[in-house]
Amino acid sequence: MTLGTAARFARREMRGSRSGFVVFLLCLTLGVAAIAAVGTVRAAITRSIADQGAVLLGGDVQMSFTYRFASEDERAFMEKNAARISEIVDFRSMAVVGQGDAADRALTQVKAIDGAYPLTGQVILDPPMSLDEALAPQDGIPGAVADPVLADRLGLSLGDRFRLGVKEFRLSAHLMREPDSATAGFTLGPRTILRSADLAGSGLLEPGSLFDTRYRLLLPAGTDLSQLEAKAQGALADSGMRWQDSRNGAPGMQRFVDRMGSFLVLVGLAGLAVGGVGIGAAVRSYLDGKTETIAVLKSLGASSSTIFATYLLQIAVLAAAGILGGLILGGFAPILAGPLIAARLPIPVEIGLDLRTLAEATLYGALAAALFALWPLARTRDVKAAELFRDLGPNRRNWPGWRLGAILVALALALAGSAIILSGLQRLAFGTVGGIVGALALLALAAAALRFLARRFSHRARGRPALRLALSAIGGPRQEATSVVLSLGLGLSVLAAIGQIDANLRNAIAGDLPDIAPSFFFVDIQPDQIEGFRARLAGDPEVTRVEDAPMLRAVLTRINGEDARKVAGDHWVLRGDRGLTYSALPPPNTDIVAGKWWPKGYDGPPQMSFAREEAEEMGLKLGDVVTVNVLGRDIDATITSLREVTFETAGIGFVMAMDPAALQGAPHSWIATVYADPGAEAAILRDLSNIYPNITAIRVRDAIDRVSDALTAIARATAIAAGVTLLTGLVVLIGAAAAGERARVYEAAVLKTLGATRAMILGSFALRSALMGAAAGIVAVAFGAIAGWWVMVFVMQGSYRFEALSAFVIVTGGALMTLIAGLLFALRPLSARPASVLRARD
Amino acid sequence: MNDVVLKLDKAQLTLSGNAGALDILRGISLEVTRGESLGLVGPSGSGKSSLLMIMGGLERATSGRVMALDHDLTAMDEDALARFRRGNMGIVFQSFHLIPTMTALENVAVPLELAGAADAFDRAAAELGAMGLGSRMNHYPAQLSGGEQQRVALARAAAPRPAILLADEPTGNLDGTTGAAIMDLLFDLRDRHGATLILVTHAPELAQRCDRIIRLADGRIDAEDRPHASKVAE
Ligand SMILES: Nc1ncnc2c1ncn2[C@@H]1O[C@H](COP(=O)(O)OP(=O)(O)O)[C@@H](O)[C@H]1O
Ligand SMILES: [Mg+2]
Repeated sequence: MTLGTAARFARREMRGSRSGFVVFLLCLTLGVAAIAAVGTVRAAITRSIADQGAVLLGGDVQMSFTYRFASEDERAFMEKNAARISEIVDFRSMAVVGQGDAADRALTQVKAIDGAYPLTGQVILDPPMSLDEALAPQDGIPGAVADPVLADRLGLSLGDRFRLGVKEFRLSAHLMREPDSATAGFTLGPRTILRSADLAGSGLLEPGSLFDTRYRLLLPAGTDLSQLEAKAQGALADSGMRWQDSRNGAPGMQRFVDRMGSFLVLVGLAGLAVGGVGIGAAVRSYLDGKTETIAVLKSLGASSSTIFATYLLQIAVLAAAGILGGLILGGFAPILAGPLIAARLPIPVEIGLDLRTLAEATLYGALAAALFALWPLARTRDVKAAELFRDLGPNRRNWPGWRLGAILVALALALAGSAIILSGLQRLAFGTVGGIVGALALLALAAAALRFLARRFSHRARGRPALRLALSAIGGPRQEATSVVLSLGLGLSVLAAIGQIDANLRNAIAGDLPDIAPSFFFVDIQPDQIEGFRARLAGDPEVTRVEDAPMLRAVLTRINGEDARKVAGDHWVLRGDRGLTYSALPPPNTDIVAGKWWPKGYDGPPQMSFAREEAEEMGLKLGDVVTVNVLGRDIDATITSLREVTFETAGIGFVMAMDPAALQGAPHSWIATVYADPGAEAAILRDLSNIYPNITAIRVRDAIDRVSDALTAIARATAIAAGVTLLTGLVVLIGAAAAGERARVYEAAVLKTLGATRAMILGSFALRSALMGAAAGIVAVAFGAIAGWWVMVFVMQGSYRFEALSAFVIVTGGALMTLIAGLLFALRPLSARPASVLRARD
Repeated sequence: MNDVVLKLDKAQLTLSGNAGALDILRGISLEVTRGESLGLVGPSGSGKSSLLMIMGGLERATSGRVMALDHDLTAMDEDALARFRRGNMGIVFQSFHLIPTMTALENVAVPLELAGAADAFDRAAAELGAMGLGSRMNHYPAQLSGGEQQRVALARAAAPRPAILLADEPTGNLDGTTGAAIMDLLFDLRDRHGATLILVTHAPELAQRCDRIIRLADGRIDAEDRPHASKVAE
């Protein structure tokens, strides 16, 4: 009965209702849409990674090795278990065009293939032709295909020749799509594909040079992947072999998509929180306008719960509409934009509706709407029929009562809990939720402080009516200031935090690193080339510093005879192979903190110097014996010293260093970093690669550009998500200004009656907006700095610097927007004829 | 003393409602002299409030002329009208129209501040004290009873000592006793400060206290009466 009555009342009430609903709907729709859109794209990528595992991987299984080809045993294992095998060699090299001083060179990531490649998927070339055709020799010159970016950089046309090492190749086609590119991970140079057999005589892939080999296997139908993996790990233990299979064809990409997706969902949640404040304000303002209706209904005998149900139903209908709108927008927008999104992804992706995502977005939307609407809704219970006779506004309780308070807390916990559980980024989600709660608390405090100060100082403003009017509007019994400071402040806080993080990330890449980073990394320097290499640089006054070291790769397999992972856990040093160096003397600037470096000319049992921090983390101490596998050979070394190693400065840092005798005879190459005047870089590169064509030079500035490119893409995605937050903030702001319009129309009319000019009234409105904007802005800057610091230091493991410009732009932009919105909504109050306003109320 | 403070010459007011143009005042001509009290009566919808609004410059006459204290209100823009009202016009409404975010004292001080009075708050406090609201000065309108709110509104209108006081059914929202008290205060103001009082009311016994009564009907002056004069004549 009560519910039926409530439903009838609700329908009648909603008939005549207006713009406040628009704000409510937009806030909810935008927030839900952002979350649904991000989730839809993430789900689509995840699905295609799962569906196309074998294609992405280039086979059912991939076994990879560092700096070596598969051994006899390994080869035999593959042949026994696989139907087909393809061998790929992946390495960096310099592509060179022209001779001597006129030569042009560029770093490229070479993929040397056999006839079986690709086992799955298709290589797409431009002009269209088969890979066999493209790589076939013409006039004795082998063919190669390259990324158009590389051809462009070197000014190569199709048919032109270029060199890798000392061997000539002919560019026969542009490489448009590699089916297995998603597994390559992050590469520094554009791709070249050629036949492994054609590398003979190039001087590349000499012993000790840096390369990876990948063996792709197609398995007989019905092979159990996990069984085979266990078998492989058992048979080929500790060889440094890395196993991947089609169950997860692109783990790196999957990880990236997961983290990025979760991060963006959290940004979307922050946007939903901003929208939530708008929802609360819209509900409050709608119900304030209904006070008289409620009082009349009560005087006619409606019970508190009938009235509560009346408005709860209205809000529920609205919330359902808003969430549905968000699901439609967020679910279908990515589908419509599908071709656009797919073009930017390295793998083919088909975007479709994902139910789990839509359910998640619905959950967030419903919880947020309930959380923010329930409190103002509960205040309808306190409206008394007596309000018909007297405005009881300020006497109404603000405290929601124990029962509702408990419900609100439960809702907040449910929202926070689902964010933390569903996002998978516990730490970041926890921080986001805590941040939003903290920001709201800080803002409520700031609003209270502002109101207190406005009351406290209003007598100082006596005689300056514009200021005093502004202060009394803020400090007076209406709660406008609180909701404006909350909604504007939360929006600005989220934006300020994103701005701080974004600016810090950009700076870390673009600003700080180049000052201390070297000009070049050189790799693949053969042992017999290192003396000449040093000599060329030693005489050059433009070169400020050269560091070089021999490098081998080693897998740390055992500690004191026990399985290393059982002793030290899943430490990063134990994942795959690590760099290992040797040196007779401690390298310059080495800080030995424990034990002693081996004596000069030491020839006894192998000794090792370990990085101090990593040793502590792994529980290693002086005297421990570690077993390392170097190119298939096990070496037992005793730890005799611990060193401080910093990896941040982009210099050469090795966790493990051994005495030279221990590694005698192991094939290896040298790496070097060269610090030089930027003006001299071109000449150094030309000279060194003319003398040593096999050496690969990596310009650090180029590498940093590549990293920046990757980060720019992340920044763009973040900017879009932040844009939705901004839009929500704007809606909330306009909603707040619109909600305040009624009150301001009235005020302006009364003030005009008392002799106030329009300029004075406008000035007073502007002052009011400015004061509230300032309070919100100060909190936003403080919050942005705290959140930025937290994310940079604890999530990104980097350092934080306050970015004043970003903070300034965001806060002044926000204050300006408030002012503009406030003034736009002051136009009607200013132009309204006082007679029409005041008479309407008579 | 016979100088004219308010003079209307064929004032017309036409408002455009949803149902097309509506003639609300159809040519009103009248003069009010300094210190006079004028009662405006007539059935609901006859245009009493509209006439008062035109006199106070809150509404602009569509045609005709409205002169107040030798200023042509029909020729002034909105800001000029607002400035003119400072110190010249005090207006009291049926539903008080206090600013809800200000205390009683602050409400009363606003017109004084706008007029540039240095002692605005002292004068406002004195005025409230004279209205018997000395203990209610720091209350917000919502914390006051209707009668108290109307006394604050009265204090606000009277504090700048305007030459003309306009009151639109100031007791319409109040009970009889409270209404009578408000009326006493209103006439007392006129007596003490020599203000001209124009009072809209539909309570005949209140109209009877005025020097002159004008009856409106359908936007026109229907009748005019001088209650005290006729009593003297009797
Ligand atoms: N804003 C308006 N637009 C159109 N007509 C109005 C407006 N305000 C009042 N009226 C009409 O003008 C007439 C006179 O109103 P009013 O002056 O308030 O009368 P009174 O005060 O005598 O009751 C009424 O018929 C009323 O309906
Ligand atoms: Mg009226």
